[in-house]
Amino acid sequence: MNNSITSDANAPVPGHKSEFKKKCHSAWIKTKAFFHGNPPAIIGVSLITVILLGALFAPVLSTHNPEKRVARPHEAPSAEHVLGSTRNGRDVYSQVLHGARKSLTVALFAGIIAMTIAIAVGVTSGYLGGKIDEWMNFITNVFLVFPQLPLLIVLAAFLGQVGSTVITVLLGVTSWPWGARVIRSQTMAIRNKEFIISAEVMGESKIRIILVEILPNLISIVFGGFLGTVIYAMGAEAGLGILGLGDATEVSWGSMLYWAQVSSSLYTGAWWEMLVPAIALALTGGALALINMSIDQVSNPKLKTGPHMKLWKKMNRETMKRRGLL
Amino acid sequence: MSFLLRRLSFYFTAFLIAISFNFMLPRMMPGDPIDALFAAAQGKMDPAQMDAVREMYGFVDGNVFEQYLSYMQSVFTLDLGPSVLMFPIDVTTVVGMSLPWTMFLALGSLIVALILGVTIGTYSSYRREGFFGQFVPPFLAFISNFPYIVTALLLFYFFGLQLELLPLAYTYDPAIDPGFTLEFIGSVAKHAVLPMGSMILVGIATWVFNMRNAMINVLGEDYVTMAEAKGLSSYRVMYRYAGRNAILPVATAIAMAIGFSFAGSIMTEVVFNYQGLGNILLKGIMARDYPLIQAILLILVSAVLTANFVADLLYVWLDPRISK
Repeated sequence: MNNSITSDANAPVPGHKSEFKKKCHSAWIKTKAFFHGNPPAIIGVSLITVILLGALFAPVLSTHNPEKRVARPHEAPSAEHVLGSTRNGRDVYSQVLHGARKSLTVALFAGIIAMTIAIAVGVTSGYLGGKIDEWMNFITNVFLVFPQLPLLIVLAAFLGQVGSTVITVLLGVTSWPWGARVIRSQTMAIRNKEFIISAEVMGESKIRIILVEILPNLISIVFGGFLGTVIYAMGAEAGLGILGLGDATEVSWGSMLYWAQVSSSLYTGAWWEMLVPAIALALTGGALALINMSIDQVSNPKLKTGPHMKLWKKMNRETMKRRGLL
Repeated sequence: MSFLLRRLSFYFTAFLIAISFNFMLPRMMPGDPIDALFAAAQGKMDPAQMDAVREMYGFVDGNVFEQYLSYMQSVFTLDLGPSVLMFPIDVTTVVGMSLPWTMFLALGSLIVALILGVTIGTYSSYRREGFFGQFVPPFLAFISNFPYIVTALLLFYFFGLQLELLPLAYTYDPAIDPGFTLEFIGSVAKHAVLPMGSMILVGIATWVFNMRNAMINVLGEDYVTMAEAKGLSSYRVMYRYAGRNAILPVATAIAMAIGFSFAGSIMTEVVFNYQGLGNILLKGIMARDYPLIQAILLILVSAVLTANFVADLLYVWLDPRISK
């Protein structure tokens, strides 16, 4: 299983080639085990791969310049414009590819910022305890109880139309509390385990204990929280966009929704202008959620669903039959 | 009781922090907010009213601390100044008119999603090996993680515009007089189906997964095996034995969901042109009506804090141990 929870301090350093090969092989086995009999993981990862490739190769794959007028307003999908054109004569297909870059960058970096703060706050307060924990926990709870999105909307409204960098930072610094809370409680759960105590007895510094002993045990939680934040940040970016609070001159899924809303494309029958970015957002969010769910199952195998549950059911029935209970 | 007192003082502190944030906002803004306001009002306000707004913001003579106290006073006396957007009406009235709709949408959808989600979560964990347990949770995880705005747009397009099944705007039919009549309630319900439906779709997976994870832990306990061995009906084991114990960790998640639900309501209202706070907020943003925007933030925070306190009461009722 793709389980990075165990940090084996005694593992031999992969010195020569056969050792390296062995490691590769076991990584391959783990990857196979992660996907085996887990359709959600397969669907999620393949969808996300397609989306990421689309974003990465946007300049190659797009047929037109996304920021130039290349068609008549609201042209229906055709061979020339695969997904139609917007009210302003932009090519929707090229825009959605380029928009993916901006939207995903905002979401990824917001996720990174949020999880960095969350780890810093969560691990410190969970490990150190005492007065520091009390204060940090209080701040976390205050942030947690505030409705973040309205807060963000008001901030953006007061700052005027803001660029994607500002939105990224705002999203990052407002969406860490949930992660911090989960990380804190997990840290508290492992704080008194033998390996931490032995490290303390050996006289390791607090920083080293946090970085080397505690953090590797939190990887699945951190990654889960990261994916959750990315989903949230992507939705928030789109939401701010459609409210007209983002920079409407940048091409992102949020600004595409904004222009589609302004031109009331749904009412005039030009569904493609609105639904294409909407569906792109939906697929990305859904795919990330499926991956998140599969990771949960890896870190807690009890949660698994899949063919092995059917096997268990079959064996259970056979046992019951043998005992004459069925 | 000390638990509730502690929570109450926490919420009060949080509220003070929200006020302080609101106090800082116009001071963080580039340029003079009063000038911006004056420009936005386009000559609708006379100088005396401008002075009143200035005072409401705490821009009085004196140091920052005195200004802060002055602002605090105007908040606690609910004197939040006139709205620029709907000029002679003051902000408190505008917000008061639309708050009930947002509460209805946010809390209504939260409660429905909670009940549905917990039921589905319980069943899908109890029947983990069946089709339901295998297919439904991943499906819901996929559907539920569409951004709020996207789910709302998709429902709006397919059920509102294409199929023309349900109304696309307003909280009730403007032709009907508001009142406690069957016709009015029917109209409100009909107008709430799509916005609420989209919010339930987004909110439900949280509860399904929280409940499912908690249930799976509980189902391994001896007393569940014992209950099954006694020959109790699976319904009884599922709900009275496992479910009753699994619901406690789920209830702690309500606090966070309340904030999310209000945020979702803001987004959904914009798509469905529902006459709640979100709609007013959007109009306020477009008109640069800063007093209105600030009042909405303040009222949203108070609503969320109050709802959280109610959730705490619920938690004490579910688990009497914590109030000791």
